[in-house]
Amino acid sequence: MARFTLIRLASLVGILLGLSVVVFLLQAVVPADPVRAMVGASARPEIVEAKRHELGLDRPLPVQYVQFLSRAVRGDLQMSLHTRRPVRTDIAAFLPATVELAATALAMAVVLGGALGLVTARGGGASLRVTLVASASVPAFLLALLLLIVFYARLRWFPGSGRISPELGAPTGPTGLLTVDGLLAGRLDVVRDALAHLALPALCLALGPAVAVGRTLRSSLQTVLGSDHIRTARAKGLTERGVLLRHGVRPALNAPLTMTGLQVGMLLAGVVVIESIFAWPGLGLYTARAITTVDFPAIVGVTLVMGAAYVIINALVDLAQVAADPRLRAG
Amino acid sequence: MSRRLLQLVTMVLAAVLLAAACSSTPPAQQGGEGGTLRLAYLADMAQADPDVFYDIEGNTVILSVYEGLLKYKPDSTEFAPSLAESWEVSPDGLTYTFKLRSGVKFQDGTPFDAQAVKTSFQRRLDVGAAPAYMLEPVASMQTPDASTFVIRLKHPVAPFLHYMASSWGPKVISPKALADHAGKDHAQTWLNEHAVGTGPFQLTAFERGQRYELTKFADYWGQKAHLDKVEIRIIPDIGTQRLQLQSGDLDAILHSFPQAELEAAKGNPDLQVLDFSSFLNNILYLNTNKKPLSDPALRKTLASAINRDTLVTEVYGTYAKPSSSTYPSGLLDPTLAPVSYPPSETTAPANTGKLTFAYTADDSGVHRRIAELIQQRLDAAGFSVAINEVQLPQVFEYVNDLQAAPDLVMQTNTPDGAHPDMWARIEWYSTGGLNYLGYKNPQADKALDQALETTDKATADRLYGEAGKILAQDTAIIFIADPRDVMVLRKNLTGIQHVPNYPWALNLAALQKG
Repeated sequence: MARFTLIRLASLVGILLGLSVVVFLLQAVVPADPVRAMVGASARPEIVEAKRHELGLDRPLPVQYVQFLSRAVRGDLQMSLHTRRPVRTDIAAFLPATVELAATALAMAVVLGGALGLVTARGGGASLRVTLVASASVPAFLLALLLLIVFYARLRWFPGSGRISPELGAPTGPTGLLTVDGLLAGRLDVVRDALAHLALPALCLALGPAVAVGRTLRSSLQTVLGSDHIRTARAKGLTERGVLLRHGVRPALNAPLTMTGLQVGMLLAGVVVIESIFAWPGLGLYTARAITTVDFPAIVGVTLVMGAAYVIINALVDLAQVAADPRLRAG
Repeated sequence: MSRRLLQLVTMVLAAVLLAAACSSTPPAQQGGEGGTLRLAYLADMAQADPDVFYDIEGNTVILSVYEGLLKYKPDSTEFAPSLAESWEVSPDGLTYTFKLRSGVKFQDGTPFDAQAVKTSFQRRLDVGAAPAYMLEPVASMQTPDASTFVIRLKHPVAPFLHYMASSWGPKVISPKALADHAGKDHAQTWLNEHAVGTGPFQLTAFERGQRYELTKFADYWGQKAHLDKVEIRIIPDIGTQRLQLQSGDLDAILHSFPQAELEAAKGNPDLQVLDFSSFLNNILYLNTNKKPLSDPALRKTLASAINRDTLVTEVYGTYAKPSSSTYPSGLLDPTLAPVSYPPSETTAPANTGKLTFAYTADDSGVHRRIAELIQQRLDAAGFSVAINEVQLPQVFEYVNDLQAAPDLVMQTNTPDGAHPDMWARIEWYSTGGLNYLGYKNPQADKALDQALETTDKATADRLYGEAGKILAQDTAIIFIADPRDVMVLRKNLTGIQHVPNYPWALNLAALQKG
């Protein structure tokens, strides 16, 4: 276990270094003058240059990179050009919204994908399969608009944007996750309102991964259901349901778990579009703004956080695989 | 088995949806009789500090919370008193004496006086961000008594009073707040997300990336706001904004409503589509510094090939007019610097090569449409054009390497104030901030510099006209359209006041919700 953690930590550091290099190289090849855009058109050239110097952007790129690294290891991710606040402060403010959305979407994806896999492994569940596959094949932004038109504008079942109705006066801590903070504060109205705001964006994010997980589980289950121990289980007189749930699922989890880990990447990529459409005040929305203002410190910061999240989640998936399949422990 | 599982999943999903749906009844109207106005911004306004803020999105907040010495009358370029009741300019154009309003309080209770004005103006200079240029010609500031503020300039500056009325002009901030939160950066960190002015609304919430809340200031010196609160949410997708407006969760969309949807909005009995005169100007910059558009004759051929007048009608319908001058309509008599681009049959020489055309993204879809139509028309006239959507910081980089910059750049701009200098100086003065493709003509610069220091308006206007004519002759910028400031509001909103020089903004204090 200690070895596993060490290897994962080393790979995390390596990946983050690699990501930061890539973003810094991008900065060199993208022709843009974010400082000029930041200070405004009427600023005298001296003001622009003074700002450039203050931000350290007038130094050679390798020097900037070394400075960035030395500050980053102390947790200082520079100042955002757009918000003029430390990127660390911005990320701390925007991250909880994305964590809550992504976690809800992931949970939805696992439930829906699990259901799809289990139902279709025996050849049934045609309607569920068709519905999920059809929804997942619609581009995310279009699906988001369709859901908004139907469930917000027409049916008025769900709110159209944001995380919470402002007039509720939602608690502001300690986790930043409104559903959790609402529960901790005993504010069921906040939990309900936060869930209502979560439902549509999380569903949009969940459908693609759900289908991927479901199909992998299905094919994995079909392989397992043909194996000797299943035949033995059937011979013992177990019902088909008992065979599937008690003896079929656990050995079939390996591939779908790997797929879940991979889909987290898709999900994190999807938050930029989904958060913009649903005005979800998370890292995706922050990133979208950082890209349009060519706010490289912010882009680097978000890239590192997203990269770390991806690596950590995949490490957790590895652990879950080991728990599900004892054969992996030997290796 | 599968049916049971399907039932289970359906039940779980239904339970989540139901639990959520239970709380999704629209929020009740908050506040007192005036009600709450709900607006949306497409992007975060970045900062609320009036000495740093230099964007258009966010005008409504700044103009509602802070006040300057002057403002513009609705639908006009004439000055109206604001914190100054009256003002005098010395014949040499160097001394400005402002008689200040008495009985004014800041939103933190601090009384307003001449010293507060001086402190705020000095702070703008000390902060030294882009809007500081408006006070850089100031030689001295004096406060002979509590209600008199005197500014002495280093040299005459024709648009100086327009600086005072500009939405980005110097605003007066509570000196107590400035002292209490001074820190090491003239209170910039604090004022980034807080505000204490004298305006009709207080900034009572600034939740970055989410929402801002304005609350009626009960002790406002002037006509108090009708609304109790204004709730501004950040909704970055114009499609979502439109749905919310139609559903009654937003009361107005103040800009970037999709041009193609305006007719449908007009047919909606719950909505009103309003358009106001503005100084917005859609313009096409030509790269005169590199081949092939370094050839003036080719630039003229290109200008004619666009067939601009039909293009403007096709894209904007009735919401813009083809520009008649190098200045936005209303800034200067258009006959002093006229432009026209009569279509002609002349085509580009065969060896012209491919032109690159960059345009900035806009949510209304107008820029993309214009770019595509220009591409089609130029292609038909023998040019070959590649179009590319870019972000503003990329555009600002072009001037650093004009040989690598595109041949054509299109954008919609607006001047800081209703004065020709505030347009020409940023657009085509050789060091102008929006002179993206580095156009230079010493004669035009000279005319503009002479005009700036000329106190006689007729002479100054003639000089501005001269600078505009030089640019028009050089065909370095093609002036495409003077668009209207288009807003879509719920029908129940009344008391609508708009100032041409305050784009994307309404006077929130005058608005009423029926």
